[in-house]
Amino acid sequence: MDVLLTVNGQQHRLDLDIRVTLLDALRERLGLTGTKKGCDQGQCGACTVLVGGRRVLSCFILAATVDGEVTTIEGLAGEGDPLHPMQQAFLDCDAFQCGYCTPGQILSAIACVQEGHAESEDEIHEYMSGNLCRCAAYPKIVEAVQRAKPLMQVQAKESD
Amino acid sequence: MAEDPKTATAGSPFGKPQVRIDGRAKVTGRALYPSDEPVGNPAYAFLLTSAIARGRIRRFDLGEARAVEGVLDILTHETAGGEAKPPEMQSGGKTTTTLESDRVWHDGQIIGVVVANSYEIAREAAFRVRVHYEKEAPSASFGSPGAEEEVREPGEHKDYRVGNADAELASAEVTVDGWYGTPTQHHNPIELFTTTCAWENGKLTIWEPSQFVYGLRGNVAGQLGIDPEDVRVVSRFVGGAFGSKGGATARTAWIAVAARRVNRPVKLVATRDQGFTIVTYRAETRHHLQLAATRDGRLTALRHEGWELTSRPSDYNVSGTETTARMYACPNILTKVNIVHADRNTPGFMRAPPDTPYMFPLECAMDELAARLGIDPIELRRINDTQTDPTNGQTFSSRHLMDCFDRGAERFGWSRRDPRPGSMSNGDWLVGLGCASAAYPSNIAATAARVSLRPDGHARVQIAAHDIGTGAYTVVAIMAADQLGLAPEQVTVEMGDSSLPPASLAAGSSHTATITHAVAKACGELRDRIARAATTSNNGPLAGRDPATLVLSAGRLTAPDGAAEPLVDAVKRLTPGALEVYAENIPKGLSPEAMETLYKGKPPMSRGQNREDVTAYAFGAQFVEVRVHSRTREIRVPRMVGAFASGRIVNPLTAHSQYMGGMIWGLGAALLEKTEIDPRHARYVNDNISEYHIPVNADVRRVEVIMIPETDRDVNPLGVKGIGEIGIVGVNAAIANAVFHATGKRIRQLPIRIEDLL
Repeated sequence: MDVLLTVNGQQHRLDLDIRVTLLDALRERLGLTGTKKGCDQGQCGACTVLVGGRRVLSCFILAATVDGEVTTIEGLAGEGDPLHPMQQAFLDCDAFQCGYCTPGQILSAIACVQEGHAESEDEIHEYMSGNLCRCAAYPKIVEAVQRAKPLMQVQAKESD
Repeated sequence: MAEDPKTATAGSPFGKPQVRIDGRAKVTGRALYPSDEPVGNPAYAFLLTSAIARGRIRRFDLGEARAVEGVLDILTHETAGGEAKPPEMQSGGKTTTTLESDRVWHDGQIIGVVVANSYEIAREAAFRVRVHYEKEAPSASFGSPGAEEEVREPGEHKDYRVGNADAELASAEVTVDGWYGTPTQHHNPIELFTTTCAWENGKLTIWEPSQFVYGLRGNVAGQLGIDPEDVRVVSRFVGGAFGSKGGATARTAWIAVAARRVNRPVKLVATRDQGFTIVTYRAETRHHLQLAATRDGRLTALRHEGWELTSRPSDYNVSGTETTARMYACPNILTKVNIVHADRNTPGFMRAPPDTPYMFPLECAMDELAARLGIDPIELRRINDTQTDPTNGQTFSSRHLMDCFDRGAERFGWSRRDPRPGSMSNGDWLVGLGCASAAYPSNIAATAARVSLRPDGHARVQIAAHDIGTGAYTVVAIMAADQLGLAPEQVTVEMGDSSLPPASLAAGSSHTATITHAVAKACGELRDRIARAATTSNNGPLAGRDPATLVLSAGRLTAPDGAAEPLVDAVKRLTPGALEVYAENIPKGLSPEAMETLYKGKPPMSRGQNREDVTAYAFGAQFVEVRVHSRTREIRVPRMVGAFASGRIVNPLTAHSQYMGGMIWGLGAALLEKTEIDPRHARYVNDNISEYHIPVNADVRRVEVIMIPETDRDVNPLGVKGIGEIGIVGVNAAIANAVFHATGKRIRQLPIRIEDLL
């Protein structure tokens, strides 16, 4: 079936099997492999992307039903560009080891801040619990969210 | 090596926190994990797995599946079984088969591969395959009818008999005697088990996450009967491994066969539930642990007998009695390990393979003994601390166990602990404080590296090493920068590819020691060549100096008298291009054939407990605070402190992450993780990452890591011990001991759950 997807500001017209998930469309058709498959059943959060600014599990949504602009990890900073404050905070805090859950963690963390769910350490622990990290970088992920939050707010004000 | 007089310590990045050199690639999604690597026009595979645990396949009905449009091929024992042999197990010994026969050894065994034009088609067709079995009743676990027990004969692992433990246990003043159990656990890295294979002109390329690319290369070549030189394994990034990606598994060769048959690259991304049965896992264990002691706390006997579950054909075991026999001074020691065969997939190594299950009973028993004697648990360990390996009388290369306890206790606030069980509380929560020892052998393997240096002062290191999240890329850059007097940013590192010089298996806390020594050796030879050329040239500023005294630092080659030459000029003297050196490092105690072994795909490893000069271990102390709700019995862990003495730390930033991750793994192992098995069908029940509970962000609060500075000149020339495993060791016991302190209940079966405390 003919599917129109807007990903990181670019429009793509794809001929897709109706069973193709957004995750597989991104990875196998658009070559956007930054979005990761960790369970393919909505349990791990590795495939988190933003759709219309909200965090969504891309393995849990069929590509044909996507309603809104998709942002993947590749859409946050181009090659050679300055990193998004959340990416920079993850890097500086060493908030990952193997890096496989990281794209999903970063997108989830951005949404967590934007949703207003990063008001306290306890809240971040809770609202970041949908993204599993088997290397267990959790304390550093919380630290990264806390570090990036004020920088994101400054950026948001500047762009207003 | 910062302490080597040939290089300056000032300015060296060795031992300083360094952000990962591959970090930007990881936070931007540009790091290519094997299933991300682009291949042209791939076909997609879906595995068929057995629905019974024991028996034979009578026949397949493939008609309906073959009729699905877009299906290219279906591999079964009938259609393709002769095209590959089973892989060799890392530990040697036999294992279960897959398509080579009609035999079913365990539930979820690979029995076929469906190949199609898309993933969706392959999956649909796989569900349309009908399999007719000849079923037999399976044995699921310990105590199941039909499970077979045998004594593990000494081979790779030894048993220890010092003095007469049985006699002492019969007559001692004080004894503790307990039975313990640890469950089946699965690594569950977030990256799935993927394999992509492509053939070009008779040569095979495999993209698969691996802890040992040369091992996988050698294995698959053997399975397919082709020359290893015709196989290339690429694994630039690995999405978590923890032991699960160390040994070759059956899937790889079948995907290679499929790619050959359909004449296209074939891509497999096995599902999460398949990951429970197509690779290894941590075996279920049982323990009988007995201690005898005098009333003043000196151990007089240790008897530790273990049982480990494995598959029908395999004799795989981890035999962690190697460590428990060495923990404390004790004149009478007896250890023994038994293997129990059931209709299960073959287990393998998982984070701190021997010591996570085996240190649990010992460290719980030490806590029990301390309580019985009215001695503080830390003081009991001090009374029995030793600098001598009690099994053979050798000295430890270094052992700072009590420094770890003292520093950890101070940070944790151990002195505030009221030793009476149930005596501490906070509102509705009972508070328990527990501790345990940690230890892990310091291993090192033979490995090669190639280093090249350009006249512009940029170095490139090539080594088929593996970054499984450990920070190995950065460690290699730091080591080369240290040796060549550069900044880490001036070093490019290529790893995770079997077309590079061979590196050993990234496992058993061996990889950092292994690769730093190989890189240091190659850099040292490079430096020597430059220095020789600089001192023997007629016109250079360093002419006539002793090359051994020259120091390479900050882009200059400097003599003790102050004469210096820019590195750029010194390199140009030898070559207008890049100066390149290949070096092999064979650690002390390994045979000269070690490199040949490695090229063949076997890891030539010197193990800390098997050395003939010293016994080499890292040590640590774990402290945990638990809170148990007085009414619901919910268990939380608000605070953990781990103190470790593991030689010199190359990169404290990534080392901190590794220790912390290990400790949180310990929390999971103690309170959450258990693969449940249906005893009737010998089938895993919670084979997904929602019902197999791993720690999530909300489970983890304060985790503090203390790195005790340690100089060890005997463990290896650089004084580097491994750190990846020790972080988890003892945490399960520290938690069980804290639960006892909070509630007065000794729980000897893991994981500890609410129902155990009702």
